[in-house]
Amino acid sequence: MSAPADILTCADLAIGHGQVVVMDRLSFSLAAGKILAVVGPSGCGKSTLMRALGGLDEPLGGRSTLMGVDLHATHGEERAAILRRTGFLFQGAALFSSLTLRENIEMPMREFLAAPRKEIRQLAEYKLSLVGLADAMDKLPSEISGGMAKRAGIARAMALDPDLIFLDEPSAGLDPMSSGRLDELILRLREAFGTTVVLVSHEVPSILRTADFCVYLDPDTGTMGAYGSPKSFLQAGNSPKAHAFFTQARID
Amino acid sequence: MNILSPKYLTIRMSQAPTGSPFARTEVLADGTALVTIGGSWTLDQPLPAIVTKGDRVRVVTEGLADFDSSLPAWLYANFKNVRQLDLSPLPPRLQSLVQIAEKASSEQAVPEQTGFLEKFGNWGVESSSSWGRAFEHIGDTASGFLRMLVGRAKVNWGDFTLQLQTAGVDALPIVALLGFLTGLIMAYVGLIQLRQVGATVYVANLVSLAMTREMGALMTGVIACGRTSTAFASQLGSMNVSQETDALRALGLHPVEYLALPRILAVTLMVPLLAVFATFVGIFGGMVVACAGDLSIEQYLTQAIRAISFKSFLVGFIKSIAFGFIAGWAGCYRGSVAKRSALGVGEAATSAAVLGITFIVIADAVFAVIFNLFDL
Repeated sequence: MSAPADILTCADLAIGHGQVVVMDRLSFSLAAGKILAVVGPSGCGKSTLMRALGGLDEPLGGRSTLMGVDLHATHGEERAAILRRTGFLFQGAALFSSLTLRENIEMPMREFLAAPRKEIRQLAEYKLSLVGLADAMDKLPSEISGGMAKRAGIARAMALDPDLIFLDEPSAGLDPMSSGRLDELILRLREAFGTTVVLVSHEVPSILRTADFCVYLDPDTGTMGAYGSPKSFLQAGNSPKAHAFFTQARID
Repeated sequence: MNILSPKYLTIRMSQAPTGSPFARTEVLADGTALVTIGGSWTLDQPLPAIVTKGDRVRVVTEGLADFDSSLPAWLYANFKNVRQLDLSPLPPRLQSLVQIAEKASSEQAVPEQTGFLEKFGNWGVESSSSWGRAFEHIGDTASGFLRMLVGRAKVNWGDFTLQLQTAGVDALPIVALLGFLTGLIMAYVGLIQLRQVGATVYVANLVSLAMTREMGALMTGVIACGRTSTAFASQLGSMNVSQETDALRALGLHPVEYLALPRILAVTLMVPLLAVFATFVGIFGGMVVACAGDLSIEQYLTQAIRAISFKSFLVGFIKSIAFGFIAGWAGCYRGSVAKRSALGVGEAATSAAVLGITFIVIADAVFAVIFNLFDL
């Protein structure tokens, strides 16, 4: 088998809100089937980076590609086809508030799969069971807790078996058991389907358990503070700030 | 490589695809159901149906090609309630995807069918509690107003001034247009009838009295329901969805006092002023039609001034205060009880307009009776 292609690349990328640059000179790539954690202090631009990488926001400079395609220079059906092969968990879960959890998961399947209704139902139930929501399928988003909404959001991100999943703080609001199960799920999905995962997280144990690579965003310099394996950040010398971020959290 | 193919990056099993997915069952001598699966399992094709009996199932593969989540989902759906499920012959990565799925602690309850009588009863209970909440909201508003008068209510005065602008000043163009057209239409219809008896000069009485006593207040009230009540319901409904009203409660603030009271006060203050404005614009609209052929401007104005009394103004003014309150209250009430969903906010806005307009027309009828009793 040939070496896996880079599913995600960015070169000299600048991101921000409006015309205000939050981070620039971001350059890294991620091979298919790998798990990348984006870490950094709150407000440093992690979610903004993920939105730019996922094609939801225009970058303020530089270039990024997803599955070999520059989404910001691609339009129409080609762009939609790439976006359909990615899943996105938003920070606030962004569930459709008028639909039950089951209907939330079924919605993308109904739109894009030709499968019969019964199979779509089966798939939705299975995906909700994967995130431990087998008992809450017919509840509305307003009737569940924040942690449950997060898990339902993950199930919806996985609905179409995406090649790449963006997870914005997937463990936030989850109990340690659920968080551990989620880590296991991410690893099993990668193992079974080669799913690539980009996640924003503050949970150091979870990052150490799952991530192959880690990008540390440094708000002081406005660019990447370090890029490497999470375990390498545990040793002093690589990047003092990234090291402090990891070890401080470990001490806490 | 076609980057648009659905799965070019997904790692697959090494065998070549061998066509559609299949599953067959045979029962072994010891009673175990042996399920053989194979073929290519993907989300975009129909999956096989299977019937198994007994508590022991063993799943084996035969020429299993690539698979996506449709296969673990199929295995989960068919065998989740089997007591002794042997998946050991399956590839480890497939096994793990079935095992990690958590079983529901109980079967999902199927909603019971309800009969007509039960539905009617439920509707009755729901309606009465809805009316109860409506009156409770009116009571809260009234007590909030009294608390405000004695300086004990926390009211968001920033909202009050903003709503004076949005519910009042910003509504001037639409109130002017509809007021003008109302006067114009009344004069036009009135003239057709009055010409037959040679009393066209009384068109000024007709328009000015109708606008002053009735139409100025009514039209403005209806516009306030369409414009302001729906906006209030959407604002408060959205705040309900994002738990902002809960945050206010947690701070010890009363949402009715803090959010609803300034809005209701602002619209109750602005609707009478808008109604006076609509009345004058409507009388002007009538003059445009009347003076286009039948009357002179002097004739029209003299007749109009003669027709309008202070009592007529008072009647219109009192009504418009009530209509303003109804428009503000309907929006705030429906917004505060909106369901926590996008659909719920939309429903709240719709029902606010319907509730407001209905109550305004009912109130108008009640006023007609009362003013008749008091000879106003």
